[in-house]
Amino acid sequence: MSGVSRDELAVASTYVAPRSTVESRLAELWSSKLGVSPIGVQDDFFELGGDSLLAADLLMDIYHDLGVEIDASVLFLTPTIADLVEAMPAAEPEAIPR
Amino acid sequence: MTASVDPDLVDLSDARLFAHGEPHELWRALRARRPVRWQPVAGRTGFWAVTGYADAERVLTDHAGFTSTRGVFLNVLGRGEPASELQFSASDPPRHGDLRRPVQREMTVRAVRHHTESLRADIVRLLTPALDGGPVDFASITSALPTAILGPLFGIPAADWPRLARLVGMSVAEDDPDYRLPEGVEETLQRAHRELFGYLLNLVLAHRRRPRGDLVDVLASMTVDGRPLSPGAVVANCYSLLLGASAAMPHVPNAALLELSRTGGYAEWARQPELLDSGIEEAVRWATPARHFLRCATRDTQLGDVTVAAGDAVVVWISSANRDERVFANPHRFDVRRTPNRHLSFGDGHHYCIGAPLARLTLRTFFTELFRRFSSFEPAGDVEYVQSAWLAGIRRLPLVATPR
Repeated sequence: MSGVSRDELAVASTYVAPRSTVESRLAELWSSKLGVSPIGVQDDFFELGGDSLLAADLLMDIYHDLGVEIDASVLFLTPTIADLVEAMPAAEPEAIPR
Repeated sequence: MTASVDPDLVDLSDARLFAHGEPHELWRALRARRPVRWQPVAGRTGFWAVTGYADAERVLTDHAGFTSTRGVFLNVLGRGEPASELQFSASDPPRHGDLRRPVQREMTVRAVRHHTESLRADIVRLLTPALDGGPVDFASITSALPTAILGPLFGIPAADWPRLARLVGMSVAEDDPDYRLPEGVEETLQRAHRELFGYLLNLVLAHRRRPRGDLVDVLASMTVDGRPLSPGAVVANCYSLLLGASAAMPHVPNAALLELSRTGGYAEWARQPELLDSGIEEAVRWATPARHFLRCATRDTQLGDVTVAAGDAVVVWISSANRDERVFANPHRFDVRRTPNRHLSFGDGHHYCIGAPLARLTLRTFFTELFRRFSSFEPAGDVEYVQSAWLAGIRRLPLVATPR
């Protein structure tokens, strides 16, 4: 998949730009997995064209990239970047080295 | 109700058709008059409905002419199958074999021999409530049967099973009033699918942290063409195994006991141990829990008296094929001596049910322990069926059991 603009998709949420390093990095990971840009932090992964298999792959990408393991149910049931950040373990996410 | 259904007009995709049990009169009429019939579906693509045994067998075994890669259940029709060529059930040879072989090795009777005693102990425990001689819902006893065999293979704790069973029910019987969410059928499927995927992905991650040497580890570590499966593919295959086993298995003893309690045939079967295996095959034919499988034609072809075009969806109705009078003498008789018994309940060809050896092991153990403890079963109230186009199941089966 390559180069779909967010505007071409039926996304219910209003675009909210990433507000932190972690949110920006998650938006990049989503973008490369979905081939969509830009990604807003309130956007629903499945509305952006994601399916369950891609979601599972994405969770592993996040683990490898950020070193954090997030409860898989969060991504499947509340599939936004904002919710993922909220569900990250308390260890200050901003401090994770890249 | 089935006798009054017009075979030319009835909507085979409507789950309500199956709310009162298998519509055998309708299947008989279709086999006789329109064995390959086009079924339009409102708002979606239609499908060819195949009801005769020979045509069914051909579609299931001709994987080059009828692909599995667009999905294999009616409820994915027209939606696209994200697990195409990643999940063995949604793949064609040769990819299918690469995905299936490593899993199949772990699903033989020999591979699970260390679990057979726990399987027997679980089954004995399940049967205990029926021993006091009062009416029991036999369906509630058998609903826990899948966990007895799958629990050890997947490393799923018993406490999680009720929730998983509910989600599996929502996935295969999304139209059933017991499973359907107030928000609707689409939401029911989506919710169940995502919760199951989330649960199974957590399970896969837990196995990755601490391997247990079970089936999930095999899937998580296997390679195809030298590359590991993606996490999504691992979960999709777990999902497929969980769904197949847990949805279908309880309904074989349910359907058999319903029939045998009505005819009095239970006692005759129970006292002839040499008929255990042929009787179980007959129970599997009789129940046909997986009522249909979907394929998609890859090229124009003649099927029965119609021409199927490349790209057309084809639904094989196993529940009809298994009662085809041209293949089975007295097809509506539960005959524990029936041999040969070439039923299609486990499918046929490359996609023949991967869990068949373990399903037979579980059923053999179940019926052995059942026969040992109970001399007869009598009907004890109204039977309720699962409302689903795929799962031919009984969800409430009140019986009075007489202990030996």
